[in-house]
Amino acid sequence: MKIDSGVFAVIFGPPGCGKSVLLRLLTGLETPTEGKIFMREEDVTGVPSGERSIGYVPQSFALYPHFKVYENISYPLRLIGAKKAEIDEAVKRAAHMLRITPLLEKYPDQLSGGEKQRVALARGITKKTGIYVFDDPLSGLDFKLREQLIDDLKEMQEALGATFIYTTSDTLEAMILAEQIFILDGGRILEHGSLEDMYYTPGNIRTMELLGFPEANVLNGELLQRDGSLICKTKLFDFPVKPEAGMIVKEEHREVFVGIRPQDMKPGLKRQKDTLSAEARIILKEDLGGEFIVHLDINGLRLLSFVRQDDLYLLSDEEITIGIPMEEIVIFSSEDGTRIGRGGG
Amino acid sequence: MPNIHTENLRKEYREVTAVRDVTITFPTSTVTCLLGPSGCGKTTLLRMIAGLEKPTSGEIYFDNVPATSLEPEKRNIGMVFQYPVVYRGLNVYRNIDLPLAQAKLSEGERKKRIEEVVGVLDLEDSLEKNIGDLDSSTRQKVAVARAIARKPQIILFDEPLTNVDVNTKVQLKEALKKLTIQLKQTIVYVTHDQTEAMTLADQIALMNQGEIVQQDTPRALYNHPSDVFGGWFLGNPGMNFIEVHVEDGKKPAKVKCAIFPKDIQLPDTHGENRVTLGVRPENVRILKAKSETAVRAQVIRKSIQVGGQYLLLLKIGDVVLKSKVPPKLGYGVRKEVWIEVLVSQVVVFGKNGRRIETKLEK
Repeated sequence: MKIDSGVFAVIFGPPGCGKSVLLRLLTGLETPTEGKIFMREEDVTGVPSGERSIGYVPQSFALYPHFKVYENISYPLRLIGAKKAEIDEAVKRAAHMLRITPLLEKYPDQLSGGEKQRVALARGITKKTGIYVFDDPLSGLDFKLREQLIDDLKEMQEALGATFIYTTSDTLEAMILAEQIFILDGGRILEHGSLEDMYYTPGNIRTMELLGFPEANVLNGELLQRDGSLICKTKLFDFPVKPEAGMIVKEEHREVFVGIRPQDMKPGLKRQKDTLSAEARIILKEDLGGEFIVHLDINGLRLLSFVRQDDLYLLSDEEITIGIPMEEIVIFSSEDGTRIGRGGG
Repeated sequence: MPNIHTENLRKEYREVTAVRDVTITFPTSTVTCLLGPSGCGKTTLLRMIAGLEKPTSGEIYFDNVPATSLEPEKRNIGMVFQYPVVYRGLNVYRNIDLPLAQAKLSEGERKKRIEEVVGVLDLEDSLEKNIGDLDSSTRQKVAVARAIARKPQIILFDEPLTNVDVNTKVQLKEALKKLTIQLKQTIVYVTHDQTEAMTLADQIALMNQGEIVQQDTPRALYNHPSDVFGGWFLGNPGMNFIEVHVEDGKKPAKVKCAIFPKDIQLPDTHGENRVTLGVRPENVRILKAKSETAVRAQVIRKSIQVGGQYLLLLKIGDVVLKSKVPPKLGYGVRKEVWIEVLVSQVVVFGKNGRRIETKLEK
């Protein structure tokens, strides 16, 4: 894998996918069994952790209770024997960025949870360097606190112009932070790219499943030739298929996965040439405030739809008609999960 | 079914005041969610209603009958906790049956009630299983079944979904929604999760720092928060807040704000010379073309959010706003766009953070 300099890169995957180990390899806290790591175009595989010149925020960052906030933040710099004036400047800069300047003379037990987290983030960025590494620093925090810290992290990265490498298993957190995203699953990088590319043209069914909230709907399908054109047959509907450019759909691709994002299951969408429609029963409307996740029963299958508050009126009946624009449907091989086509003739 | 009323209910623990003189009515046959951040006092309030905590001062009434000093077991309350309370040695059927047997119900009635709750909670296949063999999510379902089968007049839930897995969460929300419509009991449901509260509640009592900030239906609370706290706490992300100066001496007072192309009128300022305008991110709309009601904004950050919506960070003069726009409207970073905010969707807050009862006008 290669991470570009100056970007906010997120390594994203479910718990246990290997992202923490990957990060610890980068920082030098783990030794690779095989392979090499380059930073700033130099081989650092054998370079000890302390000499790699990266800022690191671990997942659980205990602050030293007997140190004041100032001393906690300056600790990594004191450790490498930095000059007093240099330390002072770095601490003040970090504290200003995270809006904790008034807290510098306090002790950790006088701080709220969010303030402690900010102090820990500040400690992570005091080292002046071009690469900062964050190991899932917001996990376990309540979501309002995360909302604020996410803004702080984005601002920090933009202000520093540095490379941020950040791991998380939280979909929304990954999507809101990432410029470049690496999808990790079962110890392997499935694919990587810009957030929009990964979201709108996932190369693998796992990417579509993992990267998206609410979760994408996945149906089983079967490809077949009908009157000379390629058709996908599912339990709910049949529709024409446009194979990927250069993709020859072979016999072994007969079994497929059909992925549909919840926002493409549109209540009230009129039947048109390029839409599929289905009769659905509403089981539950989850109210997010500005929008709703709608749990549907369509022909015995449980599927999700998604509407914004403005369209709430479309959900007033229990039985509704769902329209699906065909071109939004993505088709993946059931063998290796790769994308092989989309809906639409 | 009785309503629950508290009068100046207060709970102090040494230096901390958990609940500050709360006066609130939980209406009969209604699901009221007590929503708030951790430490806001919601669980303490619930436990006082249950009789599990003694108030420092104040009164509790069930249907106007004082209940403050009533023993917990005499309150006819069913309670579901964060961690399921079940009997490990017994199977699921016996667990649900035990409180019914204690209530000395007839064999036939007990059977009927168990069948009812087991059906809604989808526990048919687990009836013969031993509690010890179930995962914690199923155990929580059994705890819910136990609490409701007895048909107490009041049911209290204390964060019942906090420790269950994602799938069971949806299943339990679905079951609770069905049950509460069927049962018509007076239900108070404590949670810190706004989605859970908005989904299950007939009305939400929003709590902060030991006080009730607002009691309203989920839609009203979301769209018309009576306090900046509600605007901030609800929504993902919460409201945009813009502080503006009110030009005094004129009536109606005028407000200048970069998000509006013209001055906006404030008929009643309640004597405030600075007010805060609250705008939900989804109400900051991007127009395809220039319009009289729109202003120019620059996109400074962009990410994808729930349901494929774009969350944009916009800069208009010295105002920075978040905007949540429908999927697929690709707006590049650093691009200029036209944005529109409807005056009718702006909430005005005064210096103390409370909503000012006034309507902005063009």
